[in-house]
Amino acid sequence: VTAFYSSHLVLIQQTLINLLIVLSIQIPLRFGVFSLAGSGSYAFGAYTAAILNHRYGLGAFSAIAVAVVLSALLGLILAALLQRLDGLYLGMATIAVDLIISVIANNGGSFTGGPTGLYGIVATPNISTGTVASVAMCAVILAAASERGRLGRRVVAVRRDRQLAASLGVNVGRYRTAAFVISGAVGGCAGALDVFLLTTIAPSDISFSTVTIALTMIIVGGSASWLGALIGAIIFTWLPDLLTIVTEWEALIYGAIVTLAAVWAPDGILGIARSVFHNWQVRRAGTVVGAAEDSGHGGSAVPSASDVRTP
Amino acid sequence: VLQEAINALILAMSYTLFASGMSLAWGTVGILNFAHGATFVFAAFVCYLIVRSDTLPLVALALIGIATGAATSAAAYVAAFGPILRRRKDVETSEMQILAVGIGIATILEAIASHVTESEPFGLLGSSFQTRPLRLYGARITNLEIILVVLAAVVAVALIIWLYRSRVGLALRAIGVDDGAASLMGINRSRMSLLVMAIGGALAGLAGVLLTLEFSAITPESGDDFILKAFAAIVLGGLGSLPGTIIGCFVLAVCETIVLTNTSGQWVDAVSFGVIIIVLLIRPSGLFGRMAVRRT
Repeated sequence: VTAFYSSHLVLIQQTLINLLIVLSIQIPLRFGVFSLAGSGSYAFGAYTAAILNHRYGLGAFSAIAVAVVLSALLGLILAALLQRLDGLYLGMATIAVDLIISVIANNGGSFTGGPTGLYGIVATPNISTGTVASVAMCAVILAAASERGRLGRRVVAVRRDRQLAASLGVNVGRYRTAAFVISGAVGGCAGALDVFLLTTIAPSDISFSTVTIALTMIIVGGSASWLGALIGAIIFTWLPDLLTIVTEWEALIYGAIVTLAAVWAPDGILGIARSVFHNWQVRRAGTVVGAAEDSGHGGSAVPSASDVRTP
Repeated sequence: VLQEAINALILAMSYTLFASGMSLAWGTVGILNFAHGATFVFAAFVCYLIVRSDTLPLVALALIGIATGAATSAAAYVAAFGPILRRRKDVETSEMQILAVGIGIATILEAIASHVTESEPFGLLGSSFQTRPLRLYGARITNLEIILVVLAAVVAVALIIWLYRSRVGLALRAIGVDDGAASLMGINRSRMSLLVMAIGGALAGLAGVLLTLEFSAITPESGDDFILKAFAAIVLGGLGSLPGTIIGCFVLAVCETIVLTNTSGQWVDAVSFGVIIIVLLIRPSGLFGRMAVRRT
């Protein structure tokens, strides 16, 4: 196990970084905010941390902390600007924001390193995998917290029906703003960590395709829960490593997977797994009910969810 | 100044050729086809494969490009967009699915093209068409650029007349306003969608051939840039308005030409993104967009 761990260290780190990037787009999606600004926050966070560390000699951890705060602030500004937009329009406006960050970095002269970007960004005490893992864990806990209980139900209400949510006393605007801010903080954190792991950042690291790859991971993994984000991040980080035999057709396989998932499994792999599990549970519950009716007691063993959710 | 005006005109007509098909499909049947750029590249790629062994005149190339584009887009509709629209539960999820499927199809088409060309730029040098520079009141323009401008203008006018004067055009506009009511009036939505997608693909294919000749070479990823510029033009003109899209293309082309001649560096890329954000912030329905009519 340790041999596997050390030989695949880079892949493990990239999986965690990708998980953070995916979460930075998936969390707003779950709030009903179609914002793809997470990729832009990644670039913004990476550049901020790199410049603070490189030009102003700030330590790695304080640089990351400042980058996260500034990215969250960028999220707040975007929330104020783009509050009125919705759906595809919001999606495209945020893609435009992502790409403008890339253009600014490209034209920033020596401050941003221009087209070649910044390199040689090294954290003096190295950023350990443990650090990245614990940051990812924090983000997952944050995401999971917004999926259950009272907060989870409010988030669903904000996503499904804004008027209904507002009429029930949920401050919809505040939730939507929160989605932008969380997206900015998580995306910025991913970028700030990654720039110290990769030691470089360039304008070409943020493009239309980086946005679409993140979206791809969500579609394939599943958009309903952080678990889907994890599945997507694992698949698309490890697939190139496993597909070395068919490297030349890698892009074709990606495209086919995304197309199939979007048409036949809009809830992603997580959705398929859940419905399979649900069907299995219903079938088992069915036999339990049959047995319970025979003996005349004990119907309460049936999970209540399977009673309501008949497909 | 004349030279710059002509450059802006050529750029605007190139954008028009590309964006009008995309605008038509999005504004009427509600399919924002992200594979439009890849269709454009793929049509040029098929022509490139043919031209490698045979010499063909421009007309034949254009027809092959049109046929390839139409077939690609129609296949994408039958295999992917159609099933999604038929089974859609709510608009938000289906928008996301349409976006994802377009990206997926684009990835497949680009992967095929870049596998064969080994990601190198490819052109249509084997055609029998020769680009010749001409002089027009002291400004430079090529014979190809004249063909491009005239053809794009003809296509744009024909599309507008068709959309606003024919029965099929009326049906399409009805779907754009309210597809539920339109299907109650006996409009076959899926057949209309297939037709519009095929037309959009045909225009992308034509644009693919002409613009590959104009730029002398394109890469498999060239389509992505065009998608974003076309999106900017459509949003600027207003979704659902074809004349609006064409005016959007002109405004975008003029802005880009001004930025290109007056600034150094690569700020020209930021123009289309800036246009997207500014228009969506100030006037989300665009210059000539449908005003949403909602009765409750």
